[in-house]
Amino acid sequence: MKKPSNRFWALLLGGILLLCVAAGVYLYTRPAPTVGPVAIISLDGEIYDTIDLGAVEEEYTFTVTGKIGLTNDIEVAPGKIRVCRADCPDQICVGQGWLDTDFIPIACLPNTLVIQVVDGEGSGIDSMVG
Amino acid sequence: MKTRRLTTCALLTAIALTIFVAEAQIPLPVPVPGMKLGLANIVTVYAMFALGPADTLLIFLSRIVLGAMFAGLNTFPYSLAGGMSCYLIMLLLRKLVSEKQLWVCGAVSSIFHNLGQVGMAILITGTPKLVVYLVMLLPAGIVAGVFTGLAAQFLLARLKKGGIR
Amino acid sequence: MKLKHLMSGLLALSLLAGCTGGIAPSPTPSVSQEMEAHNKDTFAMDTLMSFTAYGPQGQAAVETAAKEVVKLDQLLSVTGEDSEVWALNHAQGQPTVMGEDALALLTAAQALGRATDGALDVTLYPLVKAWGFTTGSYQIPGKDTIAALLENTGYDEIAIDGDTVTLPQGMEVDFGALAKGYAGEKCVKLLREQGVTSAILRLSGNIQTIGAKPDGSPWRIAIRDPESINNSDYLGVLELVDQAAVTSGNYERYFEYDGVRYCHIMDPSTGAPTQNPLTSVTIVGPSGTACDGLSTALFVMGRDRALEYWRSAGGFEVILVEQDKNVWITPGLADQFSLKDGLGYTLNILEE
Repeated sequence: MKKPSNRFWALLLGGILLLCVAAGVYLYTRPAPTVGPVAIISLDGEIYDTIDLGAVEEEYTFTVTGKIGLTNDIEVAPGKIRVCRADCPDQICVGQGWLDTDFIPIACLPNTLVIQVVDGEGSGIDSMVG
Repeated sequence: MKTRRLTTCALLTAIALTIFVAEAQIPLPVPVPGMKLGLANIVTVYAMFALGPADTLLIFLSRIVLGAMFAGLNTFPYSLAGGMSCYLIMLLLRKLVSEKQLWVCGAVSSIFHNLGQVGMAILITGTPKLVVYLVMLLPAGIVAGVFTGLAAQFLLARLKKGGIR
Repeated sequence: MKLKHLMSGLLALSLLAGCTGGIAPSPTPSVSQEMEAHNKDTFAMDTLMSFTAYGPQGQAAVETAAKEVVKLDQLLSVTGEDSEVWALNHAQGQPTVMGEDALALLTAAQALGRATDGALDVTLYPLVKAWGFTTGSYQIPGKDTIAALLENTGYDEIAIDGDTVTLPQGMEVDFGALAKGYAGEKCVKLLREQGVTSAILRLSGNIQTIGAKPDGSPWRIAIRDPESINNSDYLGVLELVDQAAVTSGNYERYFEYDGVRYCHIMDPSTGAPTQNPLTSVTIVGPSGTACDGLSTALFVMGRDRALEYWRSAGGFEVILVEQDKNVWITPGLADQFSLKDGLGYTLNILEE
């Protein structure tokens, strides 16, 4: 069997790279949520809490504990959310910093925690009164 | 021959594990879950072409299981899923690339490692949206994979030249 | 060769699956070009206002609406020294010529004051100041202070003659309980004049909707859970078409002293913050101004009087939330409201 040439592989891999860069650029330049952003926090595959970030007026923190006993401290501020402390080994979730768009979710895979921010419409809600 | 094979496998597992543990100490410039250099893949790619699928699977699984002892069990499902899809694609790549194209094997296998990892993460967390991580994981994986593949390629060529196999 | 094609095909497929999945994380509604959303955010009346209108006229319409609220803010501000309200409050008992908007509001304020038997009174500003709600340095004024300040209140003593308004010396008017509702209602008029058939205007706690969403489904408005941390959660969702919704709650601005919560909603009969088991009142109706005023008035009345008023006056719908986690809803709204699970609220449908 004839094996594909270097050129074929280089083109294939280069193509994938370009595709990813294009997707990244698209995601990054997409307009921000128009309706107040809502954070969806899921733990162990289930939705743990949803927070209307647009309605947050003062910063506050709370702790979530996963099934295996690891904990993450989550900090919520007006329009944004982050993991501010974690006892997972890699600390990637902390390093991901503040999340204020639906660009890329925060994940603490050791603790199966995922925080995503969606457009208010993602939660099916157009606005909030009160 | 049996002893020689066992020794080679043990040696390669030890090397892979050392690389794996050492690599875990290197901080990443961008914090993306699942992103890493994947240097231990040098050993896997090398083994696949020098020793064949059976031995590679042995080395690979030993490394993942032993690695979990150092990195913790929490990330084990992701490592396993990534590792297995990486291994399976290498079985195919073995037929598709020559010994002078191990860089391809490094890159493509790292792509599949990422696909497996993210797939498992989506399953466990129930969040399909995690696919967006691929946008960052794949380019990084391809670049790092080309280098680990090249390293394996040079290793294979040198060892062959030196008559060690 | 076949294997090669299969391989590259597989790889491309898996990647495409990954990438397209990433590109469209949430399904974008298939809104045709003509029903595109246009947004405008403005800071006015001490709050962020956010307008969204759909359709080709949308952009121009939301820009006009945003300009209108800024203009209204300047006219009606109780603290802005060049506002009409400031001029009126500092006229020392002399007649003042007022513009169309201020006159409309004064008239509405008097009508609502009379209708609610004084539960809404726009002349309580000196008391709001005395309690510290204007500055944030809260204090509990003495009984004598309150009694003296109450002497100078009373919406009925505002004398309107054509476009000239006279306040008794010492009286001060504050449209805090009506201005956002009025602004929303006026913006709705402007948007409709420009041909907008689908829009949502968010003026802090006030929501005004025009028509339904472009896909024909009603607007989904969450009602804040008064008990939630930092007011970030909601207790249920209300579906609205072509209506306004306004909520007044004791959690918006308040201070606590000796375990008692003092909220910013003043009771005109006592001159003190309203004390009753209600935590929030939501009014739904066609007029934003009326909804805004009534949400305050019914909060002041308390549950029983509020329901009595609703039965006799009508023309609007109500959701009352009480400290004991009972939610009371008028029957006309029951089908449009769904309670969120897991918060411990009990929904009670009122009788006509």
